[in-house]
Amino acid sequence: PETPAQPKEEEPPMHQFIRKILHEDLQKSNEEKILRLMRKLNWDDPDISAIAIQHLAGGWRVRASARRALARLTAELAAWQEVVAPAVVDTILEEIRLTMEDPHPRYNQRRIATVKYLGELYNYKLLDSRDVFTVLYSFITFGVTNDHNTVSPLDPPENVFRIRLVCALLEICGAYFNSGSSKKKLDYFLIFFQHYFWFKYSDPIWTDENKFPIYVYNIYQECLTNLRPKLNMFTSWQQCKDAIEELRQTLYPELGEEEIDNEDHGDDSVNE
Amino acid sequence: KDRKTKAQRPLIKIILRRLPPTMTEESFMEQVSPIPEHDYFYFARPDPSLGNNLYSRAYINFVNVDDIFLFKDKFDGYVFLDDKGVEYVGIVEYAPFQRIPKKKKKKDPK
Repeated sequence: PETPAQPKEEEPPMHQFIRKILHEDLQKSNEEKILRLMRKLNWDDPDISAIAIQHLAGGWRVRASARRALARLTAELAAWQEVVAPAVVDTILEEIRLTMEDPHPRYNQRRIATVKYLGELYNYKLLDSRDVFTVLYSFITFGVTNDHNTVSPLDPPENVFRIRLVCALLEICGAYFNSGSSKKKLDYFLIFFQHYFWFKYSDPIWTDENKFPIYVYNIYQECLTNLRPKLNMFTSWQQCKDAIEELRQTLYPELGEEEIDNEDHGDDSVNE
Repeated sequence: KDRKTKAQRPLIKIILRRLPPTMTEESFMEQVSPIPEHDYFYFARPDPSLGNNLYSRAYINFVNVDDIFLFKDKFDGYVFLDDKGVEYVGIVEYAPFQRIPKKKKKKDPK
């Protein structure tokens, strides 16, 4: 039986059409057909192009099973409509940023789906590994105080959701960071991620009565184990701090005299 | 040092965030122009599903690095008004994603 939806503003038919084919109809089997429909849109109409980009960026709107198909369709469409790739990625990065500035739990499911979608877009080469790492590092640094006495409104002690966001993104594309400079980047990141995890885990708000959520602990462990089965995981915040200090000594022994000139010796083409 | 210059490609694409949600590209242009020499401009209206976090934003890819600083001086913290007079404080930042559309324009035969 049809239940009338909430009365909402009348959406122009073309908008409804784009939303329907991308978010309801799309699945692996009909992707070619929908790609053809998307190519036929009047991309010169700024309104249609804007709506199409908004919906192509709306990876959280589709079923998890259709997420990869939407990412692939976006990548294929981007070859024909050059404005698509940067506009879609920009839209998603802005959404990730906004939901860090307003970390309300109502966005949580959407945030997970959005970062997974970003991971799929990376797998289809719409962005580089450096862009993925920018997002990963933003999760563990944006508004993070690294001091239990200074509570951050953007990353409050009881909010452990960013750990899940990191794991969700790495679940989708982390396996591809397994050679050359991206492997090295992930190895470094995992040190800083563990540091962030232990900062959150060792916060004094967690007590015997109010334990750190065990499922988040499990997701974290599983994430690291899947990526680096042989990794010797740190078991305290102090160990992480020591490891970072050691890394600093190795990478930037001259630190203090000179400015850091780039992230990780800046070599993008290290061969195995 | 080739690898060094490669890694230090200057950031030239900026984002102007937290603009009024009802703003149009035309009204943005009226308030901000003339925009210094640039080869990419993109104005985006908000996704209405973001509830009470609706903001428009604009991306500009500058040609001269120095223009970025002048632009930031002028518009970072600049108060934009929507049609009802509500204030929105704009923020200028480097865009986290620096890619812009490729120049070559091939027509989709569809």
